[in-house]
Amino acid sequence: MSDTSWLSEFPAMERADLRAIRKTLDGLYRDFSREYGEVIESIFDPLLSFLVWFEKLLLSTPWFIVLACCCGLVYAASRSWKLVVGCAVSLLLIGYFGMWDDTMRTLSIITVCTMLAIVLGIPIGIAMARSDRVQSVVTPMLDIMQTMPAFVYLIPVVMLLGIGKIPGLIAVIIYAIPPVIRLTNLGIRLVDTEVLEAATAFGASKKQRLFGVQLPLAMPTIMAGINQTIMMALSMVVIASMIGVKGLGQPVLKSITNQYFTLGLLNGFAIVALAILFDRASQAYAKRTQAHLGDLKHD
Amino acid sequence: MKLKLATLLIAGLATTQASADECGNITIAEMNWNSASLMANLDQFILNEGYGCSAELIPGDTMPTGASMIEKAQPDIAPEMWTNALKESLDKGVADKRLRYAGKALVDGGEEGFWVPSYMVEQYPELATIEGLKKHAKLFPHPEDSSTSAFYNCPAGWNCQISAGNLFKALNLADAGFTIVDPGSSAGLSGSIAKAYEREEAWFGYYWAPTAILGKYEMVKVDFGTGVDKDQYLNCVSKEGCESPEATMYPPSPVSTVVTEAFANREPALLDYLNNRGFTNTQMNELLAWMEDNQATGEDAMFYFLETYPETWKQWLPKEVADKVASAI
Repeated sequence: MSDTSWLSEFPAMERADLRAIRKTLDGLYRDFSREYGEVIESIFDPLLSFLVWFEKLLLSTPWFIVLACCCGLVYAASRSWKLVVGCAVSLLLIGYFGMWDDTMRTLSIITVCTMLAIVLGIPIGIAMARSDRVQSVVTPMLDIMQTMPAFVYLIPVVMLLGIGKIPGLIAVIIYAIPPVIRLTNLGIRLVDTEVLEAATAFGASKKQRLFGVQLPLAMPTIMAGINQTIMMALSMVVIASMIGVKGLGQPVLKSITNQYFTLGLLNGFAIVALAILFDRASQAYAKRTQAHLGDLKHD
Repeated sequence: MKLKLATLLIAGLATTQASADECGNITIAEMNWNSASLMANLDQFILNEGYGCSAELIPGDTMPTGASMIEKAQPDIAPEMWTNALKESLDKGVADKRLRYAGKALVDGGEEGFWVPSYMVEQYPELATIEGLKKHAKLFPHPEDSSTSAFYNCPAGWNCQISAGNLFKALNLADAGFTIVDPGSSAGLSGSIAKAYEREEAWFGYYWAPTAILGKYEMVKVDFGTGVDKDQYLNCVSKEGCESPEATMYPPSPVSTVVTEAFANREPALLDYLNNRGFTNTQMNELLAWMEDNQATGEDAMFYFLETYPETWKQWLPKEVADKVASAI
């Protein structure tokens, strides 16, 4: 290397080497998916049949029953008639504009995604809160999950599992799970050490401290995390539909490629309406449980 | 002294003026698939080196680029446009004197159809025709509902979604137990082919050539046994809401280079080149397979093409321009 070209140009790797690396890694991944694809696919089979069953249930149930159930759930969570009326009106409007079936499909996959995200996320958050080492490993992973462009992992997942609900579900969960993990961790870590000391002084075991003190006190923060998770899951609907998940995302894609802006906007608003419903209901639920906790504290 | 400076300045201005008259700034849409990216890079290189332009690539895709060319006259050139995809707006743009079709980017035209992997046809030769395929519908289970069979359709919102949907109806595929799977995007569709092919699974659906996927994975085009009925295709199969479509094979899909009217008027010499520039499908498939094998970018492939096939591209250019390009490689 007698010339000084490295001064003006970045001393990059030889093109051929880079190509060799890319080809080898791609080949390895291809071999992996050929070898283990079917096994991995069969692991997800129960989940897939549940997703299909749940979607069919929502689609085949008469609309007014679904509507009544939704309103009932909203009332049970929030005890607010205003919210119930809002829920009924927005769902009726969605149906009136011909988006009922797509909304039901989106509702089913988002519900399952959020449940899974919560079930997986809260234990991870608890583990992070209990150990600094776990936190230092998980935090960068969460950063990657939140910033890595979805298409980078979407198509490899398609090669492994095919198009449809499961890869869509994985993509949505990867993107939407970080807030609930982060905020569970934060909420538990923010619990006053004095409160914990008091609990220990009363002879509470580790388990009792977690379920009786830390989690209840962290609940408002955890609920904020769950809210964010729901919102992000809904915002992924369009990305998920790019790998064949049926629902509100598909008409959005379709209308955008054809520049039918109104159709796009209508479906976009349906997604927003779902998000607001989920958010307000869970928010109100959190507030109620919090108020109940507050009463206890004053006793 | 001042006078001298002024004359220098004027002379300088005059020369820049002259070169601007010759060829100015040009924008070329680089679409996000391999063959179009190769053509965009090739056009840029030839315009810059052969004609002394300063051509710039801007990323694009069929729909947004088409809309921008019609409404804003930017970019100047779309090297590879599958015109059937937005036929109405393009034709309107041409009628309104905003666009002009230059030459055919793919001389043979694009090839569309319903395909099955070749390893399946080896096993069941009758899958090469639609009748045999309908008999064997059970071979193609739907991923989410094994009681039906899957037909992978063209991505949502593309024009081929309409034509493939109409053909699906015309061929009575639903009666044979098939349901349409919407892959959502072209990446999803090609991903589903790649997945099936790597594991030798069943796959049946719409695709088009020349593409890297069909260059890499050998597929057999299913014969509908109808031949090509161009009128039927144009007036019914490709139209949304056609009541009773009849089966027909796809006619070759025109793939043109589209330029803005302003560009065509400004740069007649360049328009000549674009009118001449066109690839045959065999050539393009070979180039695409090379790109895929080497994970090459459009730029790499452009150099490979210029170096390997001088007899092809020299035909497209006047002698002196071709010499300039050859010396620049």
